[in-house]
Amino acid sequence: MNPNTLDHSAPSLFKRRPSRVSQLALYSALALFLMVADARFRITDPVRVAVATVLYPVQWVMLKPVQAVHDASRYLGSLDDAQAREQAARKELVAMAQRASLADELIQENDHLRELLQLRDRLTTPGTAAEVVYDSPDLYTRRVVIDRGQVDGIDQGSPVLDEKGVVGQVTRVYPLRAEVTLLIDRDQAIPVFNPRTGARSVAYGDPSPLRTGGIELRFMPSNADVQEGDLLTTSGVDGLYPPGLPVAKVVSVERRADSAFSRIYCEPVGRVQGVRHVVVLKPLDRATHPEAEGAAEPLRAGKGKEKDKAKDGKGKEASKDGKGKEASKDGKAGKTDAPATPAAPAAPAAPAAPASARKEPA
Amino acid sequence: MIMPRGQQLLLPVNPLFIVVSLLAALALNMLPLGRQAWQPDLLMVLLAFWALNQPQRVGMGVAFLLGLCMDVDRSSLLGQHALAYALLVFAAGAMGRRLSWFSTPVQALHLLPLFAVVHGLQVLLRMVAGGIVPGPLVVVAPLIEALLWPLVSGLLLAPQRRPPDSDENRPL
Repeated sequence: MNPNTLDHSAPSLFKRRPSRVSQLALYSALALFLMVADARFRITDPVRVAVATVLYPVQWVMLKPVQAVHDASRYLGSLDDAQAREQAARKELVAMAQRASLADELIQENDHLRELLQLRDRLTTPGTAAEVVYDSPDLYTRRVVIDRGQVDGIDQGSPVLDEKGVVGQVTRVYPLRAEVTLLIDRDQAIPVFNPRTGARSVAYGDPSPLRTGGIELRFMPSNADVQEGDLLTTSGVDGLYPPGLPVAKVVSVERRADSAFSRIYCEPVGRVQGVRHVVVLKPLDRATHPEAEGAAEPLRAGKGKEKDKAKDGKGKEASKDGKGKEASKDGKAGKTDAPATPAAPAAPAAPAAPASARKEPA
Repeated sequence: MIMPRGQQLLLPVNPLFIVVSLLAALALNMLPLGRQAWQPDLLMVLLAFWALNQPQRVGMGVAFLLGLCMDVDRSSLLGQHALAYALLVFAAGAMGRRLSWFSTPVQALHLLPLFAVVHGLQVLLRMVAGGIVPGPLVVVAPLIEALLWPLVSGLLLAPQRRPPDSDENRPL
């Protein structure tokens, strides 16, 4: 008790607390246990969801002044700025319109060809529009929070896109909010496909502290055919991301003499930093087989597993490409085949077969 | 009762005031300002204050629970803030008897290393758990917290500084 107060009450006879050191030991042990349980085993999610639900009203209230200031600053923003943005948007719209008409034609043509070849129809994955509410204030990860959650049918592991390309993946779902880990997070991995060469690989968030905001193509042999300016798209072998979505552009390729691998830096195509409006897609395997094992085990989309899946998807792909079309035609295509069959996107469908021959051994 | 010469004798604290002030600090900490490494942890300052002034009422358990709330809100590692706050309250309790002899600016000087250590502990924990480096601005946070100390201390002690019976000359 502070000696400088008038506060006085007789000390209790029986209510004795444990000593401060033992209290500290107890709480430290508890905290360490929680941290390990959270980071390694992810068994604390129910606790998190419960606390988050209790805190949600406070979060909502605290969001209001921040949003008000943000809106006010935008309202007072200069007219020039708004006009310039409108111009840019218009230009983009015209370009898009051109592409859209072309795409319509291509879709029709593709449908005809697919019918001719009796291939399975391309998947259309349902999406939910969402708004980024704020950047996660955690300094050690790159995440954003969106305003849709379990109630709106957001699944863990869902891909998140903006108008340009993939932005990230839903990694934690609360009842009314969800957390999206951005592609540039150090622990985030995404299987990619290089439409120019047909090579598949996995891109990771760049961990080096100096270059933030990039992703890195790892484990590419130094003689791999990767050039600056290559566009990487999702490969679809992971069973989560629909194939053919733009992911990143290769910025620099450093071939190193001391290592069997080259360093390949890429820049995400989607606006990863400062993104506001996004679309959350259903993960592919759940869009196709909602009652399959994917639904039974909601945590499947964990990062570690995704890598494994990407790997074994790669293996199966190689064996599948040979027999390719028959396998999917007789409908026996297993669970991993399902997303892989429409994996070859409309454009690179043709080079897919020779590509697998040229592909580096995984 | 031994106390520094010339210091005012304070009124007993209202327990409700402690609860409200801590919850207000938690709410202010939850302002979604994005990734700001320099953002001071107001809850940390308040916990240190109450741990110094009312160690019987604000203990490590309260700090731990508030820390868990922070962890969930910031989506950091569950237990990161909880451990940091528990350690803070422990250290503040150990310093309490000595610190009550000093003026608030000197108290702030004493508390600066404590805040720095608690922030450093969080950085260390996240580095071990595999996070990215938060950037150099993270050292600014303890400085701002120490600067906030005299202000927070003055504000929170104000209700206890009223005269025991107010009259027309001393309404407050």
